[in-house]
Amino acid sequence: MSTSRGFGRRVALGAALVLALAACVPSEPDESSDGASGDASEGGDGGGELSIGTTADVVNFNPLVGNSRTDSWVTNLMYPAMMTIDDEGTKVPALATEWGYGEDGLSAWIELRDDMQWSDGEPLTAEDVVFTIDAIKAEQLGTVSGMIGAYESAVAASDTRIEFTLSRPDGAFLNSIGFWMPIVPEHVFGQAPTVADFANDSDWVSAGPFVLTTVERGQRYVLEAVDGYPLGEDDSGPALDRVVFRVYPDVNTEVLALRSGEIDLIGNALPPSVARDVSGDDELQTFSVPSLGWAHMQYNMRRPPLDQVEVRQALAHAVDYEAIREVVLGGNAVSSNSSVLTPTFAQWVDDTAEEYTYDPDLSRDLLAQAGVENLELEMIYDAGDPNISSWAELVRDQAAEAGITITLAGLERNTYLARTNDRDFDIYAGSWAIIDEPQSNFHLLFAPDGFINYAGVNDPEIDRLMVEASTALTVEDARGPLQELARIVTEQVYDNVMYVEQFTFAASNEWTGFQPKPSELLSVVNPQSLASVRAAD
Amino acid sequence: MALLRFTSLRVLRCLLTLWFAVSVTFFVVRLLPGDPALAIASPTMDEAQRQQILADFGLDRPLAVQYVTYLGELLQGNLGVSFRQSVPVSEVLLERLPWTLILTGSALLLTLVIGLPLGVLAATHRGGALDRVIQVGGVVGQSLFVPTVGIALLYTFGLWLGWFPIGGAIDDDVYGLEAYASIARHLVLPCLSLVVLQIGAYVLTLRTNLIDALGEEYCTVARAKGAPERRVVWKHALRNALLPTTTLVGLQLGLLVGGAVLTETIFAYPGVGRAIYESVGQLDFPVLQGAFVLLAAAVVVANLLTDIAYGLLDPRVRAA
Repeated sequence: MSTSRGFGRRVALGAALVLALAACVPSEPDESSDGASGDASEGGDGGGELSIGTTADVVNFNPLVGNSRTDSWVTNLMYPAMMTIDDEGTKVPALATEWGYGEDGLSAWIELRDDMQWSDGEPLTAEDVVFTIDAIKAEQLGTVSGMIGAYESAVAASDTRIEFTLSRPDGAFLNSIGFWMPIVPEHVFGQAPTVADFANDSDWVSAGPFVLTTVERGQRYVLEAVDGYPLGEDDSGPALDRVVFRVYPDVNTEVLALRSGEIDLIGNALPPSVARDVSGDDELQTFSVPSLGWAHMQYNMRRPPLDQVEVRQALAHAVDYEAIREVVLGGNAVSSNSSVLTPTFAQWVDDTAEEYTYDPDLSRDLLAQAGVENLELEMIYDAGDPNISSWAELVRDQAAEAGITITLAGLERNTYLARTNDRDFDIYAGSWAIIDEPQSNFHLLFAPDGFINYAGVNDPEIDRLMVEASTALTVEDARGPLQELARIVTEQVYDNVMYVEQFTFAASNEWTGFQPKPSELLSVVNPQSLASVRAAD
Repeated sequence: MALLRFTSLRVLRCLLTLWFAVSVTFFVVRLLPGDPALAIASPTMDEAQRQQILADFGLDRPLAVQYVTYLGELLQGNLGVSFRQSVPVSEVLLERLPWTLILTGSALLLTLVIGLPLGVLAATHRGGALDRVIQVGGVVGQSLFVPTVGIALLYTFGLWLGWFPIGGAIDDDVYGLEAYASIARHLVLPCLSLVVLQIGAYVLTLRTNLIDALGEEYCTVARAKGAPERRVVWKHALRNALLPTTTLVGLQLGLLVGGAVLTETIFAYPGVGRAIYESVGQLDFPVLQGAFVLLAAAVVVANLLTDIAYGLLDPRVRAA
């Protein structure tokens, strides 16, 4: 009796196994259909394969919709941005060669390179740029749609020149679209009924150094080299034959894979403890790049007594920032002198800014001035962030020295996001990944209706300075109001900037030519970098 | 007629189980803290855009309406579209299901192939050193936590010895026999991890039942008739001792599938379990629901098929 039942189960199990195996074994490739579109002239000249570890799958192949990090890493290699960023945080040419504003600030123009083409042979022209920005505006697509409030229309004045009409002067407009807007091919994306619903999950066309050819969700994303990409070290195209993004559950597993030779590069930034460990490995090389954002605490000014500046200042002086940078971050962070104009962006930095001193006695005095005793607050943070989870404890202990009781609430990420969005906190601890255009981004942070104005800043002087800065068309004109704004933010402790993290990335010594750029988004997996990588001698 | 009634009742029971699983899943995923629009939104989006995301997902409608709509779509075989990937959920899951079947199937097979002889060995050496070692091993295996075993295996066999890959399910550009070999190599560590965690239950259950069976009168009679001990164990006692073990397979199937979520995540194995793990973080309700429905359906259907086969083979079951 039992045998017959068991036999049935074994047969069913065996059959399921055989069927599953058959489904998983790939069939021999057919030369006539390799997944890539058209007649892409394959690049790479026996340069080999670079395997890159990532901790997430691509969730959306449409670069105008997807916004996860892995999405960007993969799609950035196919859909070029007009600008990139240099070591000093300045936007520099990529697909674009020059740009500028009309005198009244109501018009702008961008000049493109004339040597870029899509991998199916179609030229990349100004029409593609116009199509892209019009689609973003019409369908309110992704991140960029929030940056183009001033945009009215654009025309392709020639194959390489785009002329924009703006409804108001916006000094960040060109930099924002130049850096953030991936240009998509009109002849492909324009075929879809709506760009928003275009999954772009096969037959990819690329104007970057690589084109996606194979997708195995949960496992790997294979991109083959394309000849002719001019922005790498060699303007004839990448040296590599192909790049493969491999998916791992976390950074620790990626490190195991890197050390075992399974991958050549980890795309994700390494936590400080792992970075220290990896930097002692002779077979690996590390790269350090600055964040384009900052780590910070914000105090919810909607809740008394945090509406009193003395209380916020008392909290700011109750933290030993240098100890956090050295002990928790292992020195992989720099001071921003408590300013929202961080040292990553050399053109904006205010040299007179000074960091809040760690002075528990001063904190006590400030609390006494405010008439506040036995201050008890809750601090929320993402428990999945190893850095913040560590320094939150230091903040709590140091605040105790000043007589302030902080209760830590490390939350699951989605809960943390929900409570932050509901402004349901006393102290918020977190970090901004990228705040690259203070002229426009500060509106999000400090305007009364700003989406990430968590602290509840509502300051007419700040509002005035933001308008002045955003309408300035040159760095020189915008610097003054921005620095003044940053000084007020520091004085009033609207945002307590703690440090700017220096991200560490690790790669095998077998490769050379990486061109690191600031931020985890660009790091060493940016298109120019991967187009320049080659095997070490 | 009895078989038809038996089958109908079993199918009805399975449908009810599935409906229950679907309903619980639907409401449980919506109890997850957070808001899918926030998980997707970027800071530069304004409130109207975020509301639009919720409307696009149908999440702005009353929960009851969402539930009825979901059931209606499900009855038509439509699992919905992934919030994050904008592709049908069925496409996402079908791509991953074969890997989960390979992993859980081979883990179950290996557990039985290794576990049953060990259980027999322990029972036939009752009280001896071998019995104690097997018992301790079984208890320790049951007490271990999946990530502990997984990480230990990864460090030992993946990094130090370098015998097996750290992650993935198959190498690039391998076809035919080479592909089978590659799949097997990638399967070893995750499969071993599941076997280590499961095998104790089988070994200890079989050991206890076999010891009981060996003390039964029919075994004494067999021995009295001069049957060699080997025959008494394998021919007479084991058949009866296997009954509860067979039941255990059904019970453990759910645990195995649950264990696959963690195992697939640790070993970067591209199965349905890992899709569940990723979808929780992304609050991708349709994929979460689809994955749970698929796994529940797999367990329910596997049990249904064996029940029907069992009913076909044994008339007493149909009568019952």
